[in-house]
Amino acid sequence: MHSAVKENFKMSGFLVFFLIHSTQTGIGMLSFQRQIIESAGQDSWIAVIIAGLCLHIVLWMMVKILNNPSKDIIDIHRFCFGRLFGNAVSLLLIGYFFIIALTVLLAYINILRVWIFPSLKTWELSLALLIILYYLITGGFRVLTGFCFFSVLLSTGLMFSLYFPLQYGQLSYFFPLFNHSFSDLLKSSQSSSVVFLGFESLLLYFPFLKSPQTNIKWAHFALLFSTIKYLALLIVTLLYFSQGHLSRTLWPTLEMMKIIEVPFLERFEYLFIFIWLMIIIPTVCIPLWCCTRITKRLFALKPQLFLVVVLAFLFIAAQPFNDQTKIYALSRFTSQIGFYFVIAYIPLLFVLYFAIKKMKGKRLAQ
Amino acid sequence: MQRTFHDSLKEISGSDDFAQTSVHTKWNSFYLSYYNTLISREQLHHEILTFLKTPESSINHLQELRALIPIEDIRVSSGADEIMEHLMNGSVFIQLDENYNEGILINIGDLNSAIRKNNDTENEYSVVGPRVGFVEDIDTNLKLIRRIIKSDKLKFEESTVGSLSKTRVAIGYIDGITSPQHVNTVRQRLSDFDFDVIFDSSFIDQVITDNSNSPFPLFMTSERVDRIKYALISGQLVIVCNGSPYVLIGPATIFDFFISPEDYYLPWVIGSFFRLIRYFGVLFSIMATPIYVAVTSFHYSVIPRELMGSIINSRVDVPFMPVVEALFLEITIELLREAGARLPTKVGQTLGIVGGIVIGQAAVAAALTSNILLIFVSLSALASFTTPIYKMSNTIRFLRFPLIGLAALWGGLGIMMGIVLILGHLLRLKSLGNPYLVPMFPFRYKDYRDSFVRSSVEFSYLRPGYLRPLTQKRYNVRPRKDKGDNFNEE
Repeated sequence: MHSAVKENFKMSGFLVFFLIHSTQTGIGMLSFQRQIIESAGQDSWIAVIIAGLCLHIVLWMMVKILNNPSKDIIDIHRFCFGRLFGNAVSLLLIGYFFIIALTVLLAYINILRVWIFPSLKTWELSLALLIILYYLITGGFRVLTGFCFFSVLLSTGLMFSLYFPLQYGQLSYFFPLFNHSFSDLLKSSQSSSVVFLGFESLLLYFPFLKSPQTNIKWAHFALLFSTIKYLALLIVTLLYFSQGHLSRTLWPTLEMMKIIEVPFLERFEYLFIFIWLMIIIPTVCIPLWCCTRITKRLFALKPQLFLVVVLAFLFIAAQPFNDQTKIYALSRFTSQIGFYFVIAYIPLLFVLYFAIKKMKGKRLAQ
Repeated sequence: MQRTFHDSLKEISGSDDFAQTSVHTKWNSFYLSYYNTLISREQLHHEILTFLKTPESSINHLQELRALIPIEDIRVSSGADEIMEHLMNGSVFIQLDENYNEGILINIGDLNSAIRKNNDTENEYSVVGPRVGFVEDIDTNLKLIRRIIKSDKLKFEESTVGSLSKTRVAIGYIDGITSPQHVNTVRQRLSDFDFDVIFDSSFIDQVITDNSNSPFPLFMTSERVDRIKYALISGQLVIVCNGSPYVLIGPATIFDFFISPEDYYLPWVIGSFFRLIRYFGVLFSIMATPIYVAVTSFHYSVIPRELMGSIINSRVDVPFMPVVEALFLEITIELLREAGARLPTKVGQTLGIVGGIVIGQAAVAAALTSNILLIFVSLSALASFTTPIYKMSNTIRFLRFPLIGLAALWGGLGIMMGIVLILGHLLRLKSLGNPYLVPMFPFRYKDYRDSFVRSSVEFSYLRPGYLRPLTQKRYNVRPRKDKGDNFNEE
């Protein structure tokens, strides 16, 4: 099989924990609260739990089709749709991962512009970031995994800063409990499932894991950990802000960080935003790596060359997004695509894969 | 055509320190050739010439001549290259007949006479613990190692590198502990090695390193015998090079460079505390000045109100941008350090006073810099010297310059970009094919027993797993018989 990865390039299976968790917790953590409460209000924490549980099922499906023997989505597409059409579908995935990377990059640049450097040009910053991305991605998948590890350490460490806003929490903001209809909750969980996006890159790096059978539990732990993290963040946010205040706050997490004060440091959100660079880098790097991986598998293209092309496209594509409404529209669009990709396309693929497998098995038996 | 000794003789007889003499007695004639700069004259007179004159009969055969002389290191040879090599190493070549190529080589080399006999570990000082260091002679160095590790498993593999210097290089490892894969890698890289003169082991470091474009040292160098001993028993290999008091240790991880042997001589609580102080020192030393530049150029709003007053007061007369001011001071410190390193010790002390106190105070008084920055810069210089290995502390001092530049460009974001790049670089680095950031990444929780903190001897009985040692256990931990665990009965 083409996707066979040489044994010495494989990594310990438990590292999938860091890969999945770090790709899920990115730029979404800074602003996801506002969209979630639109329909479910103070009950939206239930929606996060629902979304997390649903994604566990999706993850289980993904692992089911990728496993035995371990392969990536390109093999599955070829298996399900035939070689030519399958490759064409895989090609669309490049666009998907590209747009995810673009959205994260632009959202971060936007935050920087709004909060810290109002006069900063998009091109300066995107150029600098792209050079860094190039250096990291050419280091190979192992370097990216290492980076994911450090990003998880940092984002988990930063969670402790929630202690400060929690002190100002009002328990009454949390009540009344359960006064939203189930359809409201579902709507809200749709918008909250968007923040978990990123773990679908597992479809491409799955063959890099050693003994996936025993280690896939770490993927589920990662998803669970992300759910807990988002849940904690959401609960603190709900306690800190009133509903009316929250619906008019673009970046609730950053607003909460503003109140932290230590004797030698004020405006803690500055530090928070800068450290967040470390945390968003995996969420940009891994999708970009996936782009290069797809082309390498489809056309046997040299990944360095294609990476330069992708980064150049990213640079050009980032330029028109110079104001907030455009970036906002883009991220809405991306989350729509991502939502349907994860919730609709992967289960579809799952059904298709096993149906075809059964049919082929029958044919062989006859 | 094979080169004969006579051909080679023509080439070397041009050198004035090459001597050819003959000894004639009643029965025999002997023809001696040697470099008088390389041999011990005393040995030549007492142990060779006296015995050459004793026989009362004619000697016709080289074996007879060999039996005559009471030195063990004698070989019969006729190959020109072999003879030349031995002459270079301090042998005397004795022939029975000038026209023959054959003769005996007697090693009476005195290569150590111009070399110091002992070395205090001045550059890697520790308050407690042995102070014996390596010297420039490989035999003494190997002796020092062998004297401490009394095991037949300790192996030294010698080879010669350098087309002109013909330097002896020995790979030391413990059979059954050190991973053979690492030994093979070094062996392979040394045999692919081409260089003319090896002045110091750091040349070997630079040529066989995994990445020569990195500011980070990928092999550890040490002049301390105890550190080398510790590296050997924990499963690393060492490379000893003739002419260099510094021995290389590989594969190294970045955390090895912040370990001082003294950590092991002090109680583990104290040792761990000092080690943590060192890590803090590194972070402080890299980050302090860039953060100052970032905060004062872009993010003054992060300074609390109470602190703002003193910073404004200190900067109010300074006419420069923070980055100019910071670079001015940092470069001053680098100048002081460089001058201090080049000057004789006694002059160096004067320099410390002149540089540290006079220049610093005068710069503040002249309003060239703010005194808060002066504190930051001198503290971070101080912190950078806590790193026990000189090569690493150089790297740390270097790293802050790109970070200052980035901080001046994009403030805190620039610093973060620099950190991302450094981290990405560290993740890429490998030492002898071993990841450089292990046990941090790839994460090995068992090896944390001796990394950021040093745990007590009851817990650190395992060798680091990332070195892939063949035997994992260093020693057995037995419960103490005289120590009860029932606190009620104490």
